[in-house]
Amino acid sequence: MSRLWRYITSSRLWKSIYRNPYPRDKRSRAMVILNSLALHLHPVRVPKRATRITYTWGLGGLATWCFVLLTLTGVFLMWYYIPTTQDAYWTIVQLQTEVTFGAFLRNLHRWAAHAMVLAVLAHMTRVFYTGAYKPPRDFNWVIGVALLLVTCLLSFSGYLLPWDQLAYWAIAVGMEMGGATPFIGKQVRMALLGGFEIGQQTLIRWYTLHVIFLPLACILLMATHFWRVRKDGNISTPVYEDDDEETLRAVEARRQQLAE
Amino acid sequence: MATEVQRPAGEGKDDLLRTVDEKDLKPVHVWPNLVSIELIGALTITLLLSLMAIFVAAPFYRMADPELTPNPSKAPWYFLGLQELLLHMHPALAGVVVPTAVLVLLGAIPYIDRSKKGTGIWFYSKKGVPIAVFSAIYTTIWNVGLILVDEYLPAGGANGIAPWLKMHGFPDAFAEIFVPIAFMTFIPFSLWTIVKRRWQADMRECMIAMYSFFLASFIVLTIIGTAFRGEGMALSWPWDIPYPPHGKE
Repeated sequence: MSRLWRYITSSRLWKSIYRNPYPRDKRSRAMVILNSLALHLHPVRVPKRATRITYTWGLGGLATWCFVLLTLTGVFLMWYYIPTTQDAYWTIVQLQTEVTFGAFLRNLHRWAAHAMVLAVLAHMTRVFYTGAYKPPRDFNWVIGVALLLVTCLLSFSGYLLPWDQLAYWAIAVGMEMGGATPFIGKQVRMALLGGFEIGQQTLIRWYTLHVIFLPLACILLMATHFWRVRKDGNISTPVYEDDDEETLRAVEARRQQLAE
Repeated sequence: MATEVQRPAGEGKDDLLRTVDEKDLKPVHVWPNLVSIELIGALTITLLLSLMAIFVAAPFYRMADPELTPNPSKAPWYFLGLQELLLHMHPALAGVVVPTAVLVLLGAIPYIDRSKKGTGIWFYSKKGVPIAVFSAIYTTIWNVGLILVDEYLPAGGANGIAPWLKMHGFPDAFAEIFVPIAFMTFIPFSLWTIVKRRWQADMRECMIAMYSFFLASFIVLTIIGTAFRGEGMALSWPWDIPYPPHGKE
């Protein structure tokens, strides 16, 4: 078994994928972060407090993971779903009754969507109460607010797709609100409905927004959000700008000492 | 363990929570210290959501029927706070102006509170938690009070503040636009003033009051919109609300 494992891990293919051995020492633990695309979102080392659950509750990460789950289950749903007013409802019925794991994956998609909205709201609240929006993270907070909006729109645009009573009338309420926009209410309503009432045009518009436009917008915003977290000095830690020089020097000296 | 860099008690310029914990300064490797936590987090949420997906079916009612309006007819939960507002003011205000203003003001927070002081510290100072709790209670009382008055204030045939004002000869725009705006500005403004006077709050502490106002309003309105609005969107007890709503099953 161990010989087989050694054979695999010393193969060219394996080595072309994983540039360094399983990280067990200081150097390889640094290299695994620097050499991996996903892990490159992180710095090599973080202050101990950044790993404390009670500081972040991991909420941004959970929201991101919900997005991954939603993408995976969403692709599965797209295999069966037909976005026409005649077929939409019946493809969901078929999905739930005839497709293996169909009901499970639809349920998972639904609950993960709610979880993502909750996680994003909770993440924003955590960032606010820990003062993590302060400069230089100010613009990243703005991107975060945009991500909250996109998350809600993603969830809401998916609401219409099953074409059941819940879907139809939730969208009717939403259209009533959008149609009340001052001065351009009629135009907003027309743009969202693709006509004068909720119908085939509406369904195809919301479907396109839900499966292409909004996910792409979300990915773009997330990429910027994560990149800026790195650029703005990683996870927020207390700053001592108002402290006297002596304290600052002591903190810095101790930090250096501990880092060695 | 607190280190020598901790400012001796009583010597601080203010009461910022400034204990520097030695453990906090020490850098640790992301692999395995952070990635292991992330993995456990991802697995936990996947497990919980999977269990929920196994045991709780996503709602799915009869096919959409434009002729059959369900009663009550509701948006998804995160918009029910806005739908609740819709009952109390002009639809343009509740559906468009307020959410836009909320997003813009949320985005503006770091440009109003510019100081770096308090970055990375839960609730900033010793006053942070009391201010947040007070703000939440203050907001909740206002919200619930206004909703009750708007539901039960008798005004001729109808109930509510706007019909009452109209009954007394005020124009529609005054009752449906001006008065709600006045309330929506007065509550945070008065809160800001109280927090400033009572706690000598600085900008960050005032911001904590404002965010707590937003959060408490969102939660209260969402709960009332979800669990306390029944047929005809009248206030009802959660157990009196038909589920699924008539016309949906």
